[in-house]
Amino acid sequence: MDFGKQLERLEAIVRRLEAEDLDLDEALKLFEEGVERLRAAREQLTQAELKVKKALKDEGAGR
Amino acid sequence: MGTPLDLFAAASAEGAWTVGEVTRRARVVIEAGLPPLWVRGEVSGFKAWRSGHWYFTLRDKACQLRCVMFSKDNRRLPAAPADGMQVFTFGRPTMWEEKGEFRLTVLELLSTEQGGLWKLAFEKAKAALLKDGLLDPARKRRLPPFPRRIAVVTSPDGAALRDIEAVMARRWPLAELVLVAAQVQGDGAEASVCAALARLAHLELDVAIVGRGGGAAEDLWTFNSERVARALAAVPVPVICAVGHETDVTLCDLVADVRAPTPSAAAEAATPDRTDVLVHIAHLAERLARGLTQRSQRVLDRLDRTGDRLGGAIGARLERSRALLTAHSARLDALSPLKILARGYAVATGADGRVLKRVAQLSAGTSFRLRVTDGAVGARVDRSGESS
Repeated sequence: MDFGKQLERLEAIVRRLEAEDLDLDEALKLFEEGVERLRAAREQLTQAELKVKKALKDEGAGR
Repeated sequence: MGTPLDLFAAASAEGAWTVGEVTRRARVVIEAGLPPLWVRGEVSGFKAWRSGHWYFTLRDKACQLRCVMFSKDNRRLPAAPADGMQVFTFGRPTMWEEKGEFRLTVLELLSTEQGGLWKLAFEKAKAALLKDGLLDPARKRRLPPFPRRIAVVTSPDGAALRDIEAVMARRWPLAELVLVAAQVQGDGAEASVCAALARLAHLELDVAIVGRGGGAAEDLWTFNSERVARALAAVPVPVICAVGHETDVTLCDLVADVRAPTPSAAAEAATPDRTDVLVHIAHLAERLARGLTQRSQRVLDRLDRTGDRLGGAIGARLERSRALLTAHSARLDALSPLKILARGYAVATGADGRVLKRVAQLSAGTSFRLRVTDGAVGARVDRSGESS
């Protein structure tokens, strides 16, 4: 998943959990999702390796 | 003494020169007597013909000299000289036979003023860009915080590419770097960079970097080309310009969304630093845990109050809810950003205090401590399991 979106969702979860008076079930669900997204985001940050590619001659050439 | 002048002797078809003979002879004399030379003076009456040839007069206080500079020679110059400009010209004095006019065929023209023709060309192009709104600060786009694809328009074997690659690998390896190769200096560079910039529209990008390493000021001309600047302005994603010159601001710098002094700086501007982002994530983890703890505590308090009032059958159910919350609280502990070790409902630790995460660590009979939210209990493995 796109990192920016992942982080946005995570921030939204934290804000809801902090601000809204959710019932416990919902809070737990959000929490679970938050934990999962945290794990995924951290993994992306620590394990990514830069990919370098060349735009092929015909790619994007005057279409 | 000399030969007496016979006024009538030469006034005949045989004795008189034709106009062509005189002008041709004059041309030979002039060209033989005046080899190509440098002439300095002030430009006046400048006119560029449709053919591309330039016609003007060079003058000083008292005299003037007609000049022509053919398109094959003036093509290399960044701009035409303006009237009133002081210039040095290198040219061949000759006779323009068709008009019977003495003139200088100019091969090279240099302005003696600050920055000269380059400066003039720059100012002209800048005025044109300004008029079309391309230098409007409101046009500048913000760079995306977490870019996925970053294109680099540069020479495939220049230092600029290597520098950008190194910075991105360190700061933000989550992105993909797409090289769009272009010739950034020399003949044909202008067309090459324009073509590369045009291709960016078809690559799904978040941001683009146009750059080159340092070099001589005249090598920067590609990035002072109005055509290149317009191609850059047409790129649909934010562009960072890094043409490797601290002192000279190019037209591309002015049009770009962000100007960076070097390709490395451009790569830094284009990417977040993952170390910073990891710290941010750790804060989010803390807030997430705290958010749930507070909510759980509130529910627990309420359950206690309710339990006091009810009791009996419903008491057992409340007890289950409480156990559930307790288990979740243990997870919060596990989530602590400093030690994300286990995410179970309780944390098992061995005699040495190490967290037991694997079946292999928990053979039958092993004693361990089970930590739950409000304390810990001693426990022993009943049956060994199998890892799944």
